[in-house]
Amino acid sequence: MAVYKRGYRRYDGPLTGRWARFLVLPRYAWRRLYQQRLVLLLTMLAFVWPLLCAGFIYLTNHAELLQGLDRDFRQFIQVNGQFFSIFMYVQAGFAVFLAALAGPGLIAPDLANNALPLYFSRPLTRWSYALARLTVLMGMLSVVTWVPGLVLFALQVGLAGGAWFRANWTIGVGMVAGFLVWLLILSLVAMASSAYVKWRVVAAAISLAFFFILSGVGEMIDQVLRVTWGHIIDPAWAVNQVWCALLGVTPPEGPGAAASAWALAAMIVLLALVIERKLRPVEVVS
Amino acid sequence: MSDVNTSPVVELEDLRVRLGRREILHGITCRLGVSGTGKAIGLLGPNGAGKSTLILTLLGFLRPSAGRARILGLDCAHSMGDARSRIGYMPENDSFIGDMTAVGFVRQMAELSGLPAEAALEKAHQVLFHVGLGEARYRELRTYSLGMKQMAKLAQAIVHGPELVILDEPTNGLDPAARRRMLKLIAEMKNEQGMNVLVCSHLLRDIEQVCDEAVIMKDGAVVHHCNLEEERRSNRSFVELEVTGDDGNLRTALTEIDAEGVPEGLGRWRIVLPPGVQVDAIWSLAGRQNLLVRKLTHRRDTLEEIFLKAMGHLAHTPGESSVEAGQG
Repeated sequence: MAVYKRGYRRYDGPLTGRWARFLVLPRYAWRRLYQQRLVLLLTMLAFVWPLLCAGFIYLTNHAELLQGLDRDFRQFIQVNGQFFSIFMYVQAGFAVFLAALAGPGLIAPDLANNALPLYFSRPLTRWSYALARLTVLMGMLSVVTWVPGLVLFALQVGLAGGAWFRANWTIGVGMVAGFLVWLLILSLVAMASSAYVKWRVVAAAISLAFFFILSGVGEMIDQVLRVTWGHIIDPAWAVNQVWCALLGVTPPEGPGAAASAWALAAMIVLLALVIERKLRPVEVVS
Repeated sequence: MSDVNTSPVVELEDLRVRLGRREILHGITCRLGVSGTGKAIGLLGPNGAGKSTLILTLLGFLRPSAGRARILGLDCAHSMGDARSRIGYMPENDSFIGDMTAVGFVRQMAELSGLPAEAALEKAHQVLFHVGLGEARYRELRTYSLGMKQMAKLAQAIVHGPELVILDEPTNGLDPAARRRMLKLIAEMKNEQGMNVLVCSHLLRDIEQVCDEAVIMKDGAVVHHCNLEEERRSNRSFVELEVTGDDGNLRTALTEIDAEGVPEGLGRWRIVLPPGVQVDAIWSLAGRQNLLVRKLTHRRDTLEEIFLKAMGHLAHTPGESSVEAGQG
């Protein structure tokens, strides 16, 4: 029978579980995000570098193809922590732009259209709403960061053998952990700007500016006060320190990985508080 | 479970709510409706009376500063996760996701309430036809008129078949035809679907038309709670009379036809007629008292009388004793 002839009857069937309900928001959000051409284009572009890296891994593991090259150069082009750190820098850059592009469309429209009371009048808490939105960004950015990174790592293990894995497994773990920290920062910055600015373009600009401004301020502190710890307020710099420690690469001069990790943790807490203040079904004006 | 099914729809115990430093609700205690009976409760009051604050507290959006609020037997401060899957809420203001089609929006809301994806899609189509948006269901919500948005909000509130639907000013901004349709849908929700409905409105006619119970709020307190079903059953009718002449004996004369009257000065009277007595009897009575009738208005708008009295605009409502007796 056609739906318009059936008439409305109350639903009395089984209900889905908590996790299925939690994933409703990410499912709908991903569908809408990948309908945006710019997001799709940038995601596809972000796969170019991993493909080049895969080619590089293939070459380094086929000695016969490198016979004509200089011995020193052959020693230089190795798949190690340095290689994966360069891979991570490039992909992290793509992740910044993707987060700025996709993030503002997550919360800003809900605030602009006053949709939060509708969400929160359902079995969905503020925290689960925020976590669902975070899952959207983390999931989307994972596709261009640690997932291809892990594929490259697996490719290298496949080509180089178990001995290479036993000697370098920490690189794989460090890469995934390092990317997750960076993605968390990016997602929270995008969500916070989206929660405070209703215009998507402005929110995107703010989430990009956040990184450039903090980097500039950090540099200024270093120059004016003649110190090296100013950079710790720059999330990109702090994350780089943590990555270097995780991948076993020589870090740049400045505060160590532990101090940088604390700075990042403080930043995460602050961003979470900023988001928590804004995600309310009703705004109470004292 | 049976305990929950026979519990009041809303139960408030000395409920106090503060917003900032101001106390908005001042210790409200009442029990409204019985869950599962398919009755509608009207929440009436002027602007600033605390109606919306009460609704937001019932939804768990605001925390009580003291006392307790229960909805369908579940504590609003601690068990709202369970309660929310059994509630539908239609907010007063525009609330939607602009770049979604109506069917996508209602489906998403149904899935968030716990319906499986396929059932949610089917129910979204059904409910949109039910509220009269069937032909427009693939249009984006931002292109809807105000009346259509109201209907879309109603659709998302009932798509999951809740036990209780909370409607905040459902007829706001609707033209007369759309208003009639909205009220008809609300009546169908309770009569045919067995849903309990809590309607918050400042429009007396809307409440009187669809509700079985009414709560009148003023300055953050409940000033009156009446059973409209009883009021309707009593079949009393009200007359506003304005006469010229000596009306000193009119009150006594009214008892001849078992009517009650209250003088309001300058020859104005409010009179309540008992069942079966027609308004013609007042003409005859005025004639016998040598009074010149300047105005005689016959009304059945009992809720307005009750509301005005609750607001303090009337010193006394004729037939008050019978109203109170009818409250159960």
